[in-house]
Amino acid sequence: MTLVAVREDGPSLLEGYRAVAGEAHLGALAALARRLRGRRLVMVNSTATGGGVAEILHRLVRLLNELGVPTTWEVMPGDAQFYGITKTIHNALHGRPGELSRADRAHFLEVNRQAADALALDGDLILIHDPQPVALATLRRRAGQRWVWRCHIDLSRADREVWEFLEPRVAAHDAAVFSHVTFVPELPIPAYIAPPSIDPLAEKNRELDEGEIDASLAPFGLPQDTPLLVQVSRFDRLKDPVGVVDAFRLTRKRERAHLVLAGGSADDDPEGAEVLAEVNERVAGRKDVSVLLLPPDAHRVINALQRRSTVAVQKSLREGFALTISEALWKRRATVASAVGGIPLQVIHERTGLLVRSVEGCAFQMTRLLRDAMLRRRLGQAGHAHVREHFLHPREARDYLAIFARLADAAK
Amino acid sequence: MNEAAGFELHTVVHLIRPWGRPLQNLESMREALAGASAEVLFHHTVQVLYRDRAASEHPADDLSAWVAVVVQDREIAERLSFAVQDLDHTAEEVREALVSVLDALTPEERAARQAPREGALQLLAAESLPLATGVVVHDGEELVAALTGGDPAVWFYHIIEQPWFGAGACPVAEWLEARGEPRLATWLREAAQPTHSLERSRDRLLRRWRQSRLTRRVADASGAPEDERRRAGREAVARLVRRVTRTENPA
Repeated sequence: MTLVAVREDGPSLLEGYRAVAGEAHLGALAALARRLRGRRLVMVNSTATGGGVAEILHRLVRLLNELGVPTTWEVMPGDAQFYGITKTIHNALHGRPGELSRADRAHFLEVNRQAADALALDGDLILIHDPQPVALATLRRRAGQRWVWRCHIDLSRADREVWEFLEPRVAAHDAAVFSHVTFVPELPIPAYIAPPSIDPLAEKNRELDEGEIDASLAPFGLPQDTPLLVQVSRFDRLKDPVGVVDAFRLTRKRERAHLVLAGGSADDDPEGAEVLAEVNERVAGRKDVSVLLLPPDAHRVINALQRRSTVAVQKSLREGFALTISEALWKRRATVASAVGGIPLQVIHERTGLLVRSVEGCAFQMTRLLRDAMLRRRLGQAGHAHVREHFLHPREARDYLAIFARLADAAK
Repeated sequence: MNEAAGFELHTVVHLIRPWGRPLQNLESMREALAGASAEVLFHHTVQVLYRDRAASEHPADDLSAWVAVVVQDREIAERLSFAVQDLDHTAEEVREALVSVLDALTPEERAARQAPREGALQLLAAESLPLATGVVVHDGEELVAALTGGDPAVWFYHIIEQPWFGAGACPVAEWLEARGEPRLATWLREAAQPTHSLERSRDRLLRRWRQSRLTRRVADASGAPEDERRRAGREAVARLVRRVTRTENPA
């Protein structure tokens, strides 16, 4: 089964977005839907569950259908060997060492060939997500179709050989879409920028009342009367949890606070387990730090933690887009974050949050925010407005439709 | 354009594309601007008004902001700001003005004015995609309500963007003039040279419009018979009382 059944029941997504985020982009979405009337859109990726792309597609497909743009979502079939190869590709595109043997390349293309036979791909507009199905454009393109490659990966440090294998397949599309301007490689086709987005109606972001927040956080025994500094992220060196602890220690010399480091389980990630051990060692004996290991579906707990935080922190050393920032800003949290990757698009220094580049800078800004409730409120409100305008699903849907409308115009 | 048939409003979506190589110094800036498309100049000197529309003041253009903050040549930054201040120039005139500011320095001086490694400026192009909203206005009242009350992209498209790409032509103001509403048309043309942020410009137009309606109503009423004026006065007081009561009891 390659066609994903997206839930169409329940309350209207459009009405839901209108209720929580106002009219932002909904007028343009309706206008684009009218302009694309009569055209069908097909989304293609490699998994229906797990991961940010599948999460976004479940919502976008439903939203586009509600708007009157018939949209289907097809998942390409693959085997364990294929997923091993695509994992290598993914890591190499992120700049980690990796090599594709001749056999790997042949198998990658063979699975794409099989997918080209198995998938319907019967739309006028085909949106291919990430590298796994990238070769389909060279295999199944019909006259009159417009194909777009949506890359959710930071390619700024991509391994050259792996990229050279993918690049001709990418170039067979009509356009490519990237999350951030620094992620864009040289390409012979138009490249557009469309940042990723969050879903304000999702369990991780929806409004919670005080009772729900209390109930969600009760198992963790966090202090009730102490300001919370919260970093939500994997236990990964690039998220610099040890640096956060060091900044917190400096802050504690000046202000009363409690640090929460919350991240996913590190069971299947040996490096994650190492980092977690380092963090635990660093905070040993401290009663003012909580390290929380959360299961992957702890969306409501993360929501509650972010809403209860006095200051949200993201002191990463390197980042892709870091949508945890948008999640915190959406909840009107004052935010201290590193000026890396896509973070400066979300945190505009002194307007929607505070950017830092060092442990001392992080400590300085955390202390400043702990001392100044008005500043926290001002940044939190501006951050919420910024996310409502730029980083919610309706804006991302609008961008995809606008790109297709542009390509459809160009084809006339 | 048929003024009797009304005027159809459009919104706009800007598709953003990287353009050229990142700028490292004023020399590479000069080279890039000399060959940049209208979409690039539009993105960095005009579209900032839409991106930063809720700012308390008129937002700075990207080019002078980069030169002031990153390259830290405040004099050149001031001159660049001045070069793009008026929005009634064509893209070609804007380019010439920007390049002539940079030409005041020698190539060596321009190359010496460097950004730090991580402070390079990647130029972007904004491809505009105007979209019919389906909303047709028939008079000034409807137009002001639509421009100031809803999607700010509708205001940006008709008041700022269309004149900029159309060498100053402002179809919505022309339509108003053809309808015999020259004063509102003049205000819209003035708004195309903003001194405030977009949202403040919208507020200003709404205030001016309401004020003008009030003045007109007073003038009309002054010629009416005494008993009619008294009745109108009583109705106005009753409306005011209802409004105050509603405010105090919002439920």
